[in-house]
Amino acid sequence: MNECDEQDLIEAAQAGSADAFADLVRKYRVRLLRFLMTRCASHADAEDALQDTLVASYRYLKSYDPRWRFSTWLYRIAIRNAHKMRRDNVVEFGDLHDEDSDPLLQCIASSETENLWVSARRVLNDEVFAATWLRYAEDMSINDISQALDRSTSWTKVNLLRARKALESELNGQRPGAEAYG
Amino acid sequence: MDKLTKQLKRDAGMIEVEISDELDRRISASLRGVSPVREAPRRRPMVFWWASSLTGVAAALALIAVLNARSERELPETIPETSPVAMASSPTTPIIEWNAESAMLTNPLRKELQDLQSDIDKARKKVREDIGL
Repeated sequence: MNECDEQDLIEAAQAGSADAFADLVRKYRVRLLRFLMTRCASHADAEDALQDTLVASYRYLKSYDPRWRFSTWLYRIAIRNAHKMRRDNVVEFGDLHDEDSDPLLQCIASSETENLWVSARRVLNDEVFAATWLRYAEDMSINDISQALDRSTSWTKVNLLRARKALESELNGQRPGAEAYG
Repeated sequence: MDKLTKQLKRDAGMIEVEISDELDRRISASLRGVSPVREAPRRRPMVFWWASSLTGVAAALALIAVLNARSERELPETIPETSPVAMASSPTTPIIEWNAESAMLTNPLRKELQDLQSDIDKARKKVREDIGL
């Protein structure tokens, strides 16, 4: 789907076409769910957060500002929903190490080596983890990440640099300490 | 692309997720159940911000001007009528410069008084001689 197609679908969805919106978000659903799996306490919560994100984005599509990339806007809503879901369930990342319930550990069960995102979740705080994900898993620009997180570009640059250092230490087998970066 | 970036990308891809049929149906049903909000929240243009700021500044300046005007009118009531400054600068009162020195009293008072009287007499005598009396 190119930019023009996406814009056409946005306009049709803004006019009230649920089918156009379904087509519009089809390519983002898996990516959003993958991100939400890293942020939620359970598989069911991640699916609920995805559903809430898509419903909210359809409902408030009129407020979408075309100066943003559509994916940036979607991620902003998804981050807020994941945060709300975790706040409602009063779950901290420290509680997410049970393989039976942790959706991220379930999704990488077949992997032989430790997934670096599991380490990232351990050493980075919520926002810095999200910034790191958007940068390295979604290839977003610094500006887009800043908009998605409602942070300054300076904050984003500094925290991405700190996250890199922390993850490099993890990768090289050196623990950066108990401090959560960011 | 460096080693860390490569691994982060690869590991993100290792997180296997899929949209199940059930979730797909749920999402479709939810989307059909809602309708987009017709009016996007209205964003005020910058001109409103400027207009409200300028109105605020103008109101503050007007308030300061009113308070200053009122305090100037009230000024005579607040200043005492017999202020030292007013007395000193009054044209009807001559300013007298007293070239007096304080007396150093080292003896009993009577003796000091006699000495002072003697000094006055000497001074008076000297003045009379000077003016030829």
